[in-house]
Amino acid sequence: MSKSKEELYQERLKRYTKAMQNEKPDMIPLRPFVAEFTALYAGYTCQEVTHDYEKAFLAARRCAADFDWDAIVGNMVYVWTGLTQAINLTYYATPGIDIPPDVGFQYREPPEEKAFMKPEEYDDLIKDPTDYLFNIWLPRVSQDIVPPGEPVTFRHNLAFLKGGMAMIQYFDALGRQNQLLREETGTVSAISGILKAPLDILADKLRGYYGLARDLMERPDKVLAACEALMPHLFQVALSGADPEKNVPVAMWMHRTCVPFISPQHFQDIYWPTTKPILEELWNNGHQTLLYAEGNWDFHLSAFRELPAGSVIFHADRSNIFEAHRILGDRFCISGGIPNTLLSIGTPEEVRDYCKKVIDEVARDGGYIMDASAIIQNDARVENVKVLTDFTREYGQY
Amino acid sequence: MEEIKRKPGVCIPWEEKVKELPPLSGDPELVRRVWEEVDFLGYLFIWHCLVSF
Repeated sequence: MSKSKEELYQERLKRYTKAMQNEKPDMIPLRPFVAEFTALYAGYTCQEVTHDYEKAFLAARRCAADFDWDAIVGNMVYVWTGLTQAINLTYYATPGIDIPPDVGFQYREPPEEKAFMKPEEYDDLIKDPTDYLFNIWLPRVSQDIVPPGEPVTFRHNLAFLKGGMAMIQYFDALGRQNQLLREETGTVSAISGILKAPLDILADKLRGYYGLARDLMERPDKVLAACEALMPHLFQVALSGADPEKNVPVAMWMHRTCVPFISPQHFQDIYWPTTKPILEELWNNGHQTLLYAEGNWDFHLSAFRELPAGSVIFHADRSNIFEAHRILGDRFCISGGIPNTLLSIGTPEEVRDYCKKVIDEVARDGGYIMDASAIIQNDARVENVKVLTDFTREYGQY
Repeated sequence: MEEIKRKPGVCIPWEEKVKELPPLSGDPELVRRVWEEVDFLGYLFIWHCLVSF
């Protein structure tokens, strides 16, 4: 008799969580972070899955139904541009509006002189981050929201109203999507909650990378104080979205705050002292964190080793996954490591060979989750993703 | 800027809001809880704009 979807879900959840606890499940779990790949597979454009989240959800569920994956993200095309348009945010290029319909959405960082936060505003941010965001930052990143002191406009009022309602609508829909994944395909929702490191937030959305790089040299004390001011808020946001069942991890998206984007000293003096306590506090609250280490974090693997055993899952993008396993493997689960270029331009044989190499060298004792290096977009070949899936199922049995 | 340093999770603190209200004849804990729960939505809005969108 075939398993019910709930039985399948429970089996997959056990497999996934056991691997994340750095133990050996029955087989290697598959947890591909499929983003615009879902559009490619389901026959949608990037515009459709970015701007119409119901199509994105449907595409993700189609993939979940057709591939034997243990866990996925309900919508890895995470930025619903209907919401960003409601607030009239300036920093996204939307498929079908600003860029061609079959290109994934883009983040547009302003030039240094037009950074969303000015260098002389550190004290304002440090004093009251929430106030700063509402009154100074948001009016700069939105074309409709006006700063305090200027006449309120119709569009200003609507941007808050529509933006707030759209956000609630989207988060509610994501919750339903996770339930549908469970009921329709027995698939686990892979993550819950979001975290970014304070220094990454400064680079991404406030000072920009160039501005931050300059500040690290010219006013490092202010940068540190700003990161310290952001810490409790970023923890609060992460905790508010964390899995109440404490099964799946909070995802920390790690961008440009590793060597060589910043110096080893800045990592040691600013990044790590303002990131590590957040990870420890989430762990104290019973939540693991998935370190989605975009780029190459090889230089920092020994720092991550300082974290409590089992508290994080280290996801290898450009990091050397074999080295990550050597340094971290006795304490943490490792995921990813299959190059996206291979999925895009490699042959099925090459994909199979690389998966075998990773499984042989990283997954021998459990504590490994199969995934590509970075999110899988619409450049990946369907047959290569299928090979990754089928080979892992066949060869990844314990 | 205001002098108040907002705690995480808070836009307008209850202590500030309660000063605007007439003496509460009913259950003050209920009023406080609902104020804080809805206020938290405003907090999540701005922080998710920063972190998620």
